[in-house]
Amino acid sequence: MQDRNSLIGYNKFTPFFFSAPALITVALLLAFPVLYALYGSLFRAEFLGAEPKFVGLENYRDLIADPAFLHALTRTAIFVFGCLILGTFLALLFAFALNRAVSRLRFFRAITIAPYIVSSVAAAVMFRIFFNREFGQLNQMIEFFGLEGLPWLTDPNLAMVVVILAQVWSDLPLAVLLLLGGLQTIDQTYLDAAAVDGASGWKRARYISIPLIAPQLAISTVWLSYATLTSLGVVLALTRGGPRRATQTLPVEMYETAFIRFETSEALAIVIVIFILNALLTLGYIAMSRRYEVER
Amino acid sequence: MDSVTESNQPRIAPAYEDIGEAPTERRGEWGPRLRKLPRKLVTWIPLALLVLWTVAPLLVTLSVSFKTRGEVFAFPSLIPEEPTLDPYREVLARPGFRGAFVNSIVVGVGTAFLTLALSVPAAYAFARFNFRGRHLLLLLVLLPRLIPSVGLMVPLYRIAILLGVLDQRLTLIVAFTGTLVPLAVWLLVGFFQAIPRDLEEAANVDGASTWSRLRFIVMPLAFPALLTIGVLAFREAWNEFGLVLALTRTPGNRTLPYELFLMQDGTGLANYPGEAAFALLTLVPFLLVYLRIERFVVSGITSGAIK
Repeated sequence: MQDRNSLIGYNKFTPFFFSAPALITVALLLAFPVLYALYGSLFRAEFLGAEPKFVGLENYRDLIADPAFLHALTRTAIFVFGCLILGTFLALLFAFALNRAVSRLRFFRAITIAPYIVSSVAAAVMFRIFFNREFGQLNQMIEFFGLEGLPWLTDPNLAMVVVILAQVWSDLPLAVLLLLGGLQTIDQTYLDAAAVDGASGWKRARYISIPLIAPQLAISTVWLSYATLTSLGVVLALTRGGPRRATQTLPVEMYETAFIRFETSEALAIVIVIFILNALLTLGYIAMSRRYEVER
Repeated sequence: MDSVTESNQPRIAPAYEDIGEAPTERRGEWGPRLRKLPRKLVTWIPLALLVLWTVAPLLVTLSVSFKTRGEVFAFPSLIPEEPTLDPYREVLARPGFRGAFVNSIVVGVGTAFLTLALSVPAAYAFARFNFRGRHLLLLLVLLPRLIPSVGLMVPLYRIAILLGVLDQRLTLIVAFTGTLVPLAVWLLVGFFQAIPRDLEEAANVDGASTWSRLRFIVMPLAFPALLTIGVLAFREAWNEFGLVLALTRTPGNRTLPYELFLMQDGTGLANYPGEAAFALLTLVPFLLVYLRIERFVVSGITSGAIK
């Protein structure tokens, strides 16, 4: 049986031969480490350098009982949720704006993607400068109006705000472009018809454009939560999880457990928790967007 | 895909501008203009916000990078009183920076090429051959894209120790390539399927082998796609932080983000101008091809790439 895309005339083994290198790479570098993490999380060394012994699910039981882990879980939830709300809001706002930029689209789009080339650590440096208490531009503006500048990076609540802003800044370009792509495929006649019927711009956006870009919204939500749940660079370089562990997210907790306290098995258990949360979020969104499409 | 993006544009403007404006009463020059004002504001305020949001952190960093350490605190204005290149000189003189810059280029280019070398044949097989287990194998390549590199830090670190390959540039290249292959295959399958089959079948009749068809017909036609994936892979390798943190130990093997991270960690007073100059210098390779990158990213996105 030949399908449309299949070529005529090839050796039966050629496709396997061609795809084997990629398959082996993925198996060894992605699949195997995950299994290794799962396996390693079932062992524990009593002291540094000791032979690890099989302990079953004890590492996980200890994690659940560990206040530091539960704290990190809460902070992660706040962080991811904050990034999702702010990121989705800004991505929608900017995508609609770009969609109306018309002739200057290329120029504004080129500006939009600037954060895409900035590494997480460099973004953290930039935000530390911008939010610096003494010379940061934001505090200068606040002081210009006669108010007192805020201790952005030393106050636990404000530090979380800054970390969320920096993370959203880093991840926004892809979300904006994704939604813009959706908006540009909308048939203009729907919007024109609604306008003739007297629907305001806001109503056209709310009841026509946004439902029509639901698939893109779902993908950008999945991507934003994936990116923020697994973000290490921005948080680590900006606050090191501080002040007073206010921005201690799961990846930061994992990093400290593995590379500062050298508790490898416990760190592997956190890795597995991150994998599971990631998979659950993704599946949740897929289920949600499926349901939505059926209703439509 | 880019052409779709562009061609949609001209239609939109008249549609919005005309509606509700038709019976224009001539009550002086400013009447119609004033009534248009809210609509213009609705367009331009978000656009201004977009520019401010994106550019502000970059601009502030640029400003600080032209100041001395003392001036940062003494004259916090956006425009430096006495612009100086000292922070840049200082960063460029750091052996750590130069070594990391070279490493970043080696690792970035190596990752781009290795990713392509592994992904092109695989994507070609998935795009062109209808073999047993094709869908299952494709799924096995694509599904691991959901594995975040942060989750690979500890396992790959342990595995690298066991294999005795910790702290080597080649290890970084191989690890980055692993995280990029699913994305690259996914993109390339789409690109290859868009290339007409007829050319290849003609070559086949003329006796060209599968390999030479890929090498001399498909790859030249898919060159823009290969370039896109090469640039995306280079960027991932250039900006990756977590895996470098896990897999390197000595200064000679680090890439730029780790080196910048360590500069922040420096003892005593934070060297803000130095950090700012460092952060901006890491953008240099992209500035040279910025307008191309914009196209790469947009075409990558529109063909379903998220990374």
